[in-house]
Amino acid sequence: MMSVLKHFAEYDRRIVYLALFLVVTIMLMTPIGLPISVSPSTMQYYDVLEALGPDDRILAVLNTEFSGYMEIQSGIIASIRVMVEKEAKICIAVAHPEATGIPELVLSAIKSTMDEHQYTYGEDYVVLGYVFPNEASVASAAQDWHGAIHNDFYGNSIEGTFLDEINDWSDWTLISDYTTGIQTTALINHFGLRGAPMIVNGIGVEISILAPYLDTGIYKALLQSMRGGAELEYLTGHPGPGMTAMDAFTIGHYLMILLIVIGNIGYFGYTRNAGRNVE
Amino acid sequence: MSQILRSKELNLIAMFLAFLAVFVPYFVNVPALDVFSTKLITITAITTAFTLLLAIYSQFRRGFDFVRRKPRGWIFKVYMMTAILLMLLFALGGLETGPYHWVMYAIITPLSSVNYGILAFYLASTCARAFKARNTKSILLILTSLIMLFYQAPFTGVYVNLGPLGIYLADTFVMAAGRMFLISVTVGAIVFGVRVLLGQEPSVLGIGREE
Amino acid sequence: MIDTVELSIMVVGCFLSMCMFSTLYGKSSPLYSLAEESYIGFATGLSIVMNLMYIYNTGFVGIMGGDWVLIFGFILGVMALFRVYTKYSYVSRLPIAISLGAQLGLALRTQIYSGFIDQIKATILPLLSGDAKAIVYNWTIFLCVILMLSFFFYTIEQKGSIGVSAKIGEYLMYASFGAIFAQTFMGRLSLLVGTIQNFTVPPWKKPILIACMAIVLAALIALDKLNLLEKLTPEE
Repeated sequence: MMSVLKHFAEYDRRIVYLALFLVVTIMLMTPIGLPISVSPSTMQYYDVLEALGPDDRILAVLNTEFSGYMEIQSGIIASIRVMVEKEAKICIAVAHPEATGIPELVLSAIKSTMDEHQYTYGEDYVVLGYVFPNEASVASAAQDWHGAIHNDFYGNSIEGTFLDEINDWSDWTLISDYTTGIQTTALINHFGLRGAPMIVNGIGVEISILAPYLDTGIYKALLQSMRGGAELEYLTGHPGPGMTAMDAFTIGHYLMILLIVIGNIGYFGYTRNAGRNVE
Repeated sequence: MSQILRSKELNLIAMFLAFLAVFVPYFVNVPALDVFSTKLITITAITTAFTLLLAIYSQFRRGFDFVRRKPRGWIFKVYMMTAILLMLLFALGGLETGPYHWVMYAIITPLSSVNYGILAFYLASTCARAFKARNTKSILLILTSLIMLFYQAPFTGVYVNLGPLGIYLADTFVMAAGRMFLISVTVGAIVFGVRVLLGQEPSVLGIGREE
Repeated sequence: MIDTVELSIMVVGCFLSMCMFSTLYGKSSPLYSLAEESYIGFATGLSIVMNLMYIYNTGFVGIMGGDWVLIFGFILGVMALFRVYTKYSYVSRLPIAISLGAQLGLALRTQIYSGFIDQIKATILPLLSGDAKAIVYNWTIFLCVILMLSFFFYTIEQKGSIGVSAKIGEYLMYASFGAIFAQTFMGRLSLLVGTIQNFTVPPWKKPILIACMAIVLAALIALDKLNLLEKLTPEE
């Protein structure tokens, strides 16, 4: 018994690495299909998207490195799919060089929906690329859109696209921020604070930072991490990467709980009694 | 000319004027000032983008220093510098297809993901070791973390209604802590900003270091 | 039918990713260095390309469109690059000063509202009106913010009522940190799950993932047994 408690207190950390890696990989390779529940914050986010209508103009900002996309891809894909279903006009802008590869992945994931609604580039959606490298660029675009942005990601002029109707922050119906925190504060300060409605899909680490802005009303809704994306997929009726990952997500959480419990059993059963300080 | 550009006073005055040119029009509605402010902000955006190009210099300087010394594994630094040049070359062939596109999806995007994905392991291992119920504070820490971990796992919510408690913790404690940090950081940033404007932090302009 | 390009992207990406995961073995390895230098090199190149494109699209195209004042952006930008020459680095002070002043103006004119005034206003909540849930929430938020902030009053000695509030604030912070840790773990776990998912969907990727895992692990163990890990790893 004592040796078991000793192992609980003094195990090699690589066992944790291996356990987590195996749990995640096996659950992804052989998903069980555990049911999920929907949280009120996702319902609130979904309600904002459902209220969109044809010809609403949405600025979708990919404020994330590619690593962040791995976490919130389900939320991004599900959100933009709803925007397409509502026939809103979408402008995709990017705030990190790595994120320039994301629009292609998102648009190919929702291609069937776009074809169904006969989405045309320029008239219904535009991909701008890396136009928000710093706060000054965000502020500049908020005050004088055409003074700051001239070309799209493919090098074509944005003249003749639906962006002709955009002059400054007030011409956007909604700012949709998908963020790991890069230019989020800049978007809040130069768009949200002026009155442009904003919603945000943030990674887990950002939630405590974004929550105060939700509370003050700058954000209309906050979609939380991969779980929020999975819930949104469930609500919109289009299962995708989020829902597929929920088994691994759930079991990963239970593994963490188990590790904390094991650590405390080891601490109380061995370390404390033996009077040794493992650290 | 060099004396003018070196002048600490000139730089501080330029900084203060640029600050006023951006700060004042936000509160005072004068169209001409507004246009000037917007143009200055766009110019700043372009200037700041130029400074990011200094990254190429710093990476090559570090790389050449390393290769010159020829320590163990210097060939990796040669590979790194070659990779930078290759990426610039590939970009000339177009961004949507070709080698640039291949490198983007074969190398940059998976490695960027893994770079941050590794943190999950370190977090799990460190917290499994550190979260010991030694005293009241750590018991509080562990209790709230266990409640939130259970709440966050979607499967839990199907059978055990931890929603009210989880939402209460998130909408009050987490939000309050976030607000507390935000207020503290904002006050600190404002104080630091005012100190920079008053010339109390010359190192920010690189003045102290050169002299 | 799997496209050759897509297959090559998957194989290379998966192999390099497993090489990067090899750091979890606990010892430095040349495989990790290969992945690390690949990422640093190509990602730096990508950043430079994107910034050059931004300068072209915003600055050059704007100037060609008649916005001549943007020339100053180029002039100041080139001056800023003189930072690298020790003899002429003073040339970069002016553009840095102007950029810094403008950025401070941008930050201070808005952050004081979003990060301070609005947050204070949102903390002043009705404490005696509303339903039971609203009252509990409002009291919790109000007390948490005030008491936690009092913990960070370093300019006065924390004794008496300030000391008590700081102590309670400290306990409330620990409770908050537990919940924040859980959200942080959720975020990091999601990153990991998303990363591995990239190599498991669609199903044809699974054997490649398993093969890469096996190859990298076998290589690591072999190098370790032959005492070649440190010999082949670059110096820091």
